[in-house]
Parts: sequence; C-alpha cells; structure tokens
Amino acid sequence: MANEVDFDELLGKYKSDPFDYVDIYSVHTGRVLFKTVEGQEVAAASGEWLQIPGTALYEINRERNPRIVTSHTNGIVAAINTELDGQFVEAGVKLMTIKHPLKKKEIIENILKEVLSLFPAPESAKYFFAMDIQSRIDKKGARAVTIEPGDEILTMSLMKRDTPVYYKGERGVIHSVYFKPGISVAQGEPLLGVCAPEKLSLIQKIITRVKADWDHDH
Amino acid sequence: MTTDPPPAAGNHGAADNRPTPAAVLQRLRSDSAAAEIPDGCDRTAILRYGEYVGSVIESRVALPRAMDHARTLLAASARAGRSVASGTVILADTMDRSKGRFSRSWHAPRGGVWGCMIEAQTLLPQSRSFIPLAAGVACCEAVREIGGTRSILRWVNDILVDGRKLAGFLVEGYTEPVHSEEFALVGFGINVNNVIFPDELAESATSLCQVLARTIDLTEFTTNFLARLAWNFGILHHEEARGLREEGFSGDQGRHLLLDRWLNLSDTIGKHVVYGFDVINDPQYQAEVSGLDAGGAIILRLADGSVKTENCGEVRYLPAGAP
Repeated sequence: MANEVDFDELLGKYKSDPFDYVDIYSVHTGRVLFKTVEGQEVAAASGEWLQIPGTALYEINRERNPRIVTSHTNGIVAAINTELDGQFVEAGVKLMTIKHPLKKKEIIENILKEVLSLFPAPESAKYFFAMDIQSRIDKKGARAVTIEPGDEILTMSLMKRDTPVYYKGERGVIHSVYFKPGISVAQGEPLLGVCAPEKLSLIQKIITRVKADWDHDH
Repeated sequence: MTTDPPPAAGNHGAADNRPTPAAVLQRLRSDSAAAEIPDGCDRTAILRYGEYVGSVIESRVALPRAMDHARTLLAASARAGRSVASGTVILADTMDRSKGRFSRSWHAPRGGVWGCMIEAQTLLPQSRSFIPLAAGVACCEAVREIGGTRSILRWVNDILVDGRKLAGFLVEGYTEPVHSEEFALVGFGINVNNVIFPDELAESATSLCQVLARTIDLTEFTTNFLARLAWNFGILHHEEARGLREEGFSGDQGRHLLLDRWLNLSDTIGKHVVYGFDVINDPQYQAEVSGLDAGGAIILRLADGSVKTENCGEVRYLPAGAP
C-alpha cells in the first residue's frame, strides 16, 4: 500500500465517471441466447434472502440443459456482444457489460479496495471467523485485531465440510470485513481488507475526505 | 523441527470396538461383488479406489475427541518426517469432548461408533463437496443392511429414524504444519448400543439398539460401516476420474453417482423445512425442498415462489401443513 494517496486523482476519477463497469462472462460452455438488449435497465437480486432473482441476462444451453443467468447488480446494459447471440461459446467469454451507478458508500469501498490488501475467498462457500479471531473481535473490534501470515483466521463452510482458512499476506489489522456469516461468497471475491497498523490513520483520512468531498459536491 | 515420535497407532486390546483392516477389506470385497452399479461403472476401479479406507485402524478405549487426536497424530508424524496413511480410522469407545457443528455437544458414551477417518486431500475441489454425502450414504446403507430399514438421510447427512437422529457427520479440513499437506477429517457419531441420552437430546435422538430392540455387535457393525465408507469413497474417486476423462458421471441422466445413491436414501425432497446456516440458533426462512443441484446443494422454493440454492447450512423438517 502506498504511503501517500493522490486524493485529487482518486476523487476526480470517481467524480468524472461515478460508475462501475461490470463485465458478464459465460458461466460455462454452451449456446447463448441473450435475454436483454443494450440500454436496458437491469435489477439485482432482491428480497430478504436475495431470493428474488435479478433481471435475466442470458440463457446458456449445454447438452439440452438450459440455464438462465441473472444480474447480480443493478444498472444499464452498456455493451452487448450481439454477434454471439445464438452461438456456441466457451466458458469465460465476455458477453456484455453492465454500467452500475455508484453510491457514496460504494465509492469509499472501491477506493479502500485499492489501498487495502484484499484477502480473497479460496472457494465459493460461506465463511465465518475462527473462534479465536471472533472472540478478539468481540472484545476489541476488528480494527484492533492484528493478523499474521499463517494465522487461522476463518472457517470455510461448504456442504457441512468446515475447512480452516489461513491468512496469507502482510501482517496487518482487519480494516474491512466483506462477508456476512450465512451468506455465500463467490470464489475470488474479497473476504477481508487488511492494512498495516501504522496506516490506519491514512485509511481514515481517505474515508473522511471522500465523505466530505462527496457531500459537498453531490 | 522436533523429532518427537508420533503417537503410537494401532489397536488397544481393551477397546470394545475393534474392527480390523483385514475384516473391512474382506467385507468391502464381498459387498462390491454384490453391489448394484449402473452400466459403464467399473466395479474393479471403485474397489481399488476405495480400498485405502480403513487400511489402518486405531481403536481406543477413550479419547477426548477423535478429530483432535487425528490432528495431533498428523502434526507429530509430519514433524517426525513420517506420513499418516490416507484412510486411517481412529475409533474410541467413549469421548468426553466430542461435538457437532457450531460447538454443539455430542454425547459419546460406551456403545456407540465414535471416531474419524483421515483422508489425504487428493480430490479436486468440485469433488470435495461430495465427501459429507458419501459419509451419510455409507452409514444409511450400513444401518439399513442390519435391519434399520426406516432410516433415511436428511440433507446434508443426518441419519434419522422415525424423525429421531441416529447418526451425524462432520467433515473438517486440516493442514499439517510442516509441509502444509491438506487433509479432510471425516468425523462420525453413530448411536448403536447407547440408549441413555442427555435431557436435551432425549426427545430427538435414538439408537440402533432402540430401533431394532436388540443389542448390536459393535465391531461387526463398524466393520460393515467402514466397508460402506470405502465403497462410497471409491465411487467418489471413480466419478472424479470419469469427469476428468470427460466421460460424464455414471448416475441416472449423467448425475454424479453418489448423488443418485443419496437421493435413493433420502426423504428430504418435497419436505417443508426451515433453513439456516445454524438452524438451531438462527433459523432463516421456511421453504419447500424442490431438489438438489448437480453439486448436492439444496434447492428451496419459498412461499413467494422464488427459488434459493444453498450449498451449506442445514434444514429441519416442519410438520406437514405448517404455515
């Protein structure tokens, strides 16, 4: 993490273009049929348990097993590779991009993700803190808990199989927690944002500055 | 690095439950010869893949907790430059610190089958999700074979008879500290001849002895259970090999064969349930079970018609007609 952050550059970037561009890829091989068109507004999953699916984006059919893929984010379909409609694609082919309008909280989170060391989910599963870490968090709060490489920090739970997750990364404090117990996290998504203890004040400065600037301008 | 020798493995003569690797292997071979498997399944390969389960068995009179003992054994062996055989089974007649999920207590007095199996983590991540299913299927088959024909599987792998829990399984990962080799510890607790339960379990637990109204030969039952465990782990490896060869799985309509076997033994599909990651302390929502997906995750239909797929957590059945 850099010691100095160019606030003007960071904020300028988000002020000029306060959107996330979420690329949507084919989830596996199969024949693709688009269910949306460029410029269409799409919604994310909703409901108390996120049980109401988002807008259908595309159908992919592999060996006569059709699967509808829905949006996980709200926004506008900004670009769509229409030439792939009805075609067979490999897994991981970019199909479209959703332009998602960012809220202030999301902008702060995005900036923090650029300056924190992110610890990603090793597998798509549900996660909870290891008992020792949880008791330290309960006593002092996450930002007072320092973790070291090799520490057992989380338990990954999948199909009644609990696996300890060991921290890999620089020694630091747990600044941001991106998962909720009981909610699945996709492989590669960040679970924790960690920063060196001496840099906590810098992080706080970023948050304060973004909040102030954003409130002032928006 | 220390050079402490690992804890001694092997049978302790005074233990009640003393299955032997030879007896498990013999049982596995005779079971496999008679097992019904779909066309295209390689019986010999399944047998070969599964034979490692129970190749070492350590029977103890008492342990605090078999999983902890397995971790100690693995760590000490690694520090001594040795390996623990994959498939090693640790049994104890009694355990005084056994637990279920989320630190729930598990009562483990004399008369039950308490222990764990050490599985070196050689399976691909997509196959590992089937480990808990394999353990449940093995136990349900062993219970039915001895006469417990009303035993059923509740997702993920609880064994119930007439609504009461007869057995439970917990799979925990472990990474040994020297070489960072990964293991899955398959813990099992099966109520066999134990008939007295703590007050909080009295209404919800049962044992084979109570179900069949007779005392069971503990060693013989455990031998059979371990042979079933070996067969189902053999299937797990067999299906993974088929998948890697792009031959598709050998179950009905190309499903994973373990999933087929689980579905044949379970009554979960169609049940009205309450779901929760920790359903006892934090029940989340009610739904009807509409099926399992290809990876064994449960598909739940909520009252508003929406559908959720959960790949972990647990369910409890609600009475028919519950709101």
